[in-house]
Amino acid sequence: MMRIKLPNVPALGAYLALSCLFAAAWFVNPANTHSSFALISPVMAVAGKVAKPIYTSRFASSGLVDFVHSSAVTALPDGSLMTVWFAGSREGAADVQVRSARFDPKTGEWGAEKVLATRDSTQQGTRKYIRKLGNPVVALAPDNRVWLFYVSVSMGGWAGSAVNVMVSDDFGESWSAPRQLITSPFLNISTLVRSAPVFHADGSIGLPVYHEFLGKFAEYLYLSADGNVIDKFRISHGNNSLQPTVVPLDGQRGIALLRYAGDTHHRVLATRTEDAGQTWSEPYPLDPSNPNSSLAAVATPEHGLLVALNDLQEGRFKLSLYGTDAKMDDWRSLRDLDKSPDPEGAPFSPEAYKEIIGREFRGSSGALRQPLEAQFLDNLDNRVCKSQGCEFEYEYPYFIRSPDGMYHLVYSWNNTFIKHVSFNDAWLNERRK
Amino acid sequence: MISLWQAHVSFAMIIFLVLPSFGLPRTWRIALLAALLAVSFIPLDGLSLAAYLRSYIDDLAITSMVFMAWGCLRRLDILPPARGKTGVLILFAAMALVLYPATLGMSDLDPYRFGYSPRPLLIFLAVLTLGLFYLRNGLAVVMLASATLAFIAGIKPSQNYWDYLVDPLLGLYCCAALLMLAVRWTYRLATQRRGAASGSV
Repeated sequence: MMRIKLPNVPALGAYLALSCLFAAAWFVNPANTHSSFALISPVMAVAGKVAKPIYTSRFASSGLVDFVHSSAVTALPDGSLMTVWFAGSREGAADVQVRSARFDPKTGEWGAEKVLATRDSTQQGTRKYIRKLGNPVVALAPDNRVWLFYVSVSMGGWAGSAVNVMVSDDFGESWSAPRQLITSPFLNISTLVRSAPVFHADGSIGLPVYHEFLGKFAEYLYLSADGNVIDKFRISHGNNSLQPTVVPLDGQRGIALLRYAGDTHHRVLATRTEDAGQTWSEPYPLDPSNPNSSLAAVATPEHGLLVALNDLQEGRFKLSLYGTDAKMDDWRSLRDLDKSPDPEGAPFSPEAYKEIIGREFRGSSGALRQPLEAQFLDNLDNRVCKSQGCEFEYEYPYFIRSPDGMYHLVYSWNNTFIKHVSFNDAWLNERRK
Repeated sequence: MISLWQAHVSFAMIIFLVLPSFGLPRTWRIALLAALLAVSFIPLDGLSLAAYLRSYIDDLAITSMVFMAWGCLRRLDILPPARGKTGVLILFAAMALVLYPATLGMSDLDPYRFGYSPRPLLIFLAVLTLGLFYLRNGLAVVMLASATLAFIAGIKPSQNYWDYLVDPLLGLYCCAALLMLAVRWTYRLATQRRGAASGSV
């Protein structure tokens, strides 16, 4: 007959200790609760008072020699704006910095540039070697803290990116030291940010991110109100989508538009959530084209979307503003924000280019930057001119609607300036007629 | 800054384990380990050598730290050989193979997510740990129990249980070691068969 051997007392004690250990871990780690999207209602026009259509533009950056790219903007409670972007001798260079500027609503102009993060400051904050910096995004949280997320790379190309975070309790006057978010179990690499964070009702932060290491796909990082990653959700799969821009429609429903990085249809991708970002439908192509370039969207009071994008099969020589309904069936072109005079985006000779871009500069710069024209034209270099000629590039839009109801759009203007465009609902209504 | 202390300890242990013993007596080997720890603090352009290594391998999992500590103590002849080392290799190689390809986008399911609200994962690991204890695999039990204890204490900047359980370095080592074991086993089997075949003639 088989005899059952009972464990001895020390072994029983060990079994008990191990069970208690895992029980304790179970008790201190309850499932995360997921909050609905925070609903921000901009101030509407006072009834009976007809708002005048407003559409204005000006440059937000003021440097004349650096390659500038990947801007983001947020509205502050005093009516001012803060924009951030990266600038350096070229994209991916070791001298790239994350810079910012403040928009003064009284003067209607952007102030001086300020450096928020450098390779060195990131290295000191994270205690890791940093090769280069990339895309920054900025957002004011409902608790009035300003969050800055930006990309850094310690090894390899952009596929080796990690996301850093800094926070300001005084609307961008001073910032915490940067620290890295832990977003991936594989050496904490392959996560990039580009589009606007989304806030949830309990103060938690939804950060749209994307991967481009083994796959090219989008995710929705879910951060606690103090900026720790507490969950993540796949927005898309596979190898063909990047840079999700997430637009909440109500507490639970939202849309993500995605940059198409595949080889077949070259169209903007869309996906929907019905549970505040926890699950997303299979991405599907929309009408507008997408030449593998970043796009941005914001909700309108009529439950539609405004989308800024390069509606092109190839190149980034035209940036357009579209309006669409919530079903995204009906797309209407509202304005070409900036475009090359050549309908195919063909390059120009340096002489012809200088004349055209001088004109464009005067139309875009705003009064404060206007005197910089001659210096700007003297500094035109390989940011815009290659061996085959000089090209126009209007790309990487970032869209917000401020609490006063104004729409603000920032984007890269030929990688020489960050351009800011603002307009109101009255202007939109006029364009829709 | 626990991660930086972890980086210094990792630096010393990794190099100590990679370097041959050079036939040194135990005291000298202890001195070598201490010297490597001191070297990890040498600054270069504002960062210590340990911080440079950390930039590439990231903060290691607690299981790796325990595994390397066990390796160092073995090298110093302080501990006897562990029972069930192959079990440890299989366990962590399997974890790495389940986690990394899927998380990096090769599957629609993202197992890394289970580490944020880890109750189901904890139950699985609890059963596994108790099972390994029943099999008297002390090394695996200590590795998993230490990782879970550290997770409760929150000593790493990550809030994900997986980051305490496995890291790419451990996964790679376990896969490579298993591959070598498999090659050795196949070679031995082939040699035995050849021997048996020639004996029967």
